Amino acid sequence: MNTVRRSGNGIFSMNGREWSLLVACLLAITIFSVASPHYATSGNAVTVLRNSVELLLIGLGMTLLLAMGGIDVSIGIVMGLAAIAIGRILGADGSPFLAIVAGPMAGAVLGCVTAAVVVLGRVPAIVGTLGLLGVYRTAVFVLLGGQWLSGLPSSLTDLLSTTVLGIPVAAFAIAVAYLAVWLALRRTPYGLHLLAIGNSEEKARLSGIPVVKIRFATFVISGVLTGIAATFYVATYRNVEMTIGSTLALDAIAAVILGGTSILGGRCSLIGTVLGVLLLRILQNGLLLIGIPSLWQPVVTGVLILGVLGFEAVSNRLPLARFQRARA
Amino acid sequence: MKTLRNLQGPALTLALLCGLWLIVILGLLALKPSVFNLGTVTTILQFSTILALVGLGQGLVILAGGTGIDLSVGGAVSLSAIIAMLCLKLGLPPVLLPVICILAGALLGAMNGWLVNGLALLPFIATLGTFFVYSGVALAVTGGAAQAGVPAWLLLWGRGVFLGIPVPFLTLAIPCFALAGLVLMATAWGRWIYAMGFNERSAKLVGIPVERVRFILYVLSGALAGAAGLVSIAWLGSGRPNIGQNLELESLTAAMLGGIVITGGRGGVGGVFAAVLLLVTLKTGLLQLNINTVWQVGIVGALLVFVLLADRLSQRWRS
Repeated sequence: MNTVRRSGNGIFSMNGREWSLLVACLLAITIFSVASPHYATSGNAVTVLRNSVELLLIGLGMTLLLAMGGIDVSIGIVMGLAAIAIGRILGADGSPFLAIVAGPMAGAVLGCVTAAVVVLGRVPAIVGTLGLLGVYRTAVFVLLGGQWLSGLPSSLTDLLSTTVLGIPVAAFAIAVAYLAVWLALRRTPYGLHLLAIGNSEEKARLSGIPVVKIRFATFVISGVLTGIAATFYVATYRNVEMTIGSTLALDAIAAVILGGTSILGGRCSLIGTVLGVLLLRILQNGLLLIGIPSLWQPVVTGVLILGVLGFEAVSNRLPLARFQRARA
Repeated sequence: MKTLRNLQGPALTLALLCGLWLIVILGLLALKPSVFNLGTVTTILQFSTILALVGLGQGLVILAGGTGIDLSVGGAVSLSAIIAMLCLKLGLPPVLLPVICILAGALLGAMNGWLVNGLALLPFIATLGTFFVYSGVALAVTGGAAQAGVPAWLLLWGRGVFLGIPVPFLTLAIPCFALAGLVLMATAWGRWIYAMGFNERSAKLVGIPVERVRFILYVLSGALAGAAGLVSIAWLGSGRPNIGQNLELESLTAAMLGGIVITGGRGGVGGVFAAVLLLVTLKTGLLQLNINTVWQVGIVGALLVFVLLADRLSQRWRS
């Protein structure tokens, strides 16, 4: 059991990695505040937080997937498809309640499709989801018929911004999603099994863990979270554009890796993902405000992924890390 | 030798691909007979050159196993073309353009090789990262604009047609495939690649320099991507920062369709060659039928999923 590390066992307990992420966030904020007069405004803070919502929800699902040794590069377009489903229902009906159910439902169905290919078909997750990414992209285009879905009624927006006890419903929804994922990961057998599969699928199977079921469920959970993200997307922008979600998968992978979840599986941190999402969005927003064109964003994200993984690889080889491992 | 030929696979794969190809051709013939002339063949082969070069590198990387995959190929094609054109603008003699292009690709490939070997990162995540870096840099440096100024002699090569066959296809794609096939079939290096793809641990134990071979294959994949970038420059007359778009998906599909097994150690380059021709024929056919290009990525993606599932099913069926 030594190798299945449950770092950050409490809801908000943080380890060194997570503290340093928090420091990195603060450092980035300080630097950007000095560099740009438009940065340190309350309006910009709201923008950054607002832009983090979808990524956070998708990042939670991606944390589970990566911890299990899986990945899903089609997840951004899955959000696009779910957003189209929500938009169509909202446009036809106007009732926000049906629309709220539609997102997670669409996400769950698409999660089942992905799981059927990757888990039941026993196809490597990266290749399977890359193929599905192509299919989904065509589906988005065909469903939208070459034009934006726009001018959707504001009923969903109104519902999510209703305040209860002074806090918007949206914030409650995000908190509940986080709590649910945390509980599943840290307080149920599912979480232990997931990490064990991430560590070694073969060993997990031999010790009687229902590997196929757990892996299937994780893809569906990730789909449902993506569907919730789509609900927030439609509520905020009230339109669905052709290029929706095209960089979300990369951003989510970057945020999760930044957060300290091991791509080799078996180790993950939800609070790390939250901080990773914030750091990524702070960086993207700040770089834009100090005048770096948005075309550079995928470069920055890619370099972050490679930098963090490279740093981990090198620091794992340092004598101190070896010594600590030997002692453990 | 017999086992090696078995690993190369499969006459069956080739027969299936030919069958599929015939279906595509016949379908096209039924829907739009006017398509069939020498010009279409030339166009198909012209488009095939880029995918063939990239697919070859992809196929070899996957063949060597160790969860090897090169998702950065599309980015490497774009970036090497852009680097070459920018070097030209900075006053480099135009004669060196081909060299720079291929060298730039090789360097980008070496970066992948170093990440995978030196830092021991998982190939799919390392090359996913470099994919976004390469394609992002190509777009960001140029602001998305095509880079003009290709020397006339290069256009002569890139647009030349000999007996209906484009010259780049004749002088670059075919020799590369012939050479790769020869190396795989008849040299120790070929056996090493199959051996490490089949079982890396035992390959290491019998003294195969697994790491060196893997590094060289990533460099080769990059260099082939650079060559594809060169073909794109010479053919289109400009360096386009998005020329490599979707190539990671298409090259993977070509490699898988061509009978290379995703876990490595099985398959050959002949199948990849046939699969490239099939894919490009299909794409060109769709284009001729006035079907929106957006359908292409979906169909290629569906093919990839289908091939992978069919492979698993046939394995289960056989055992």
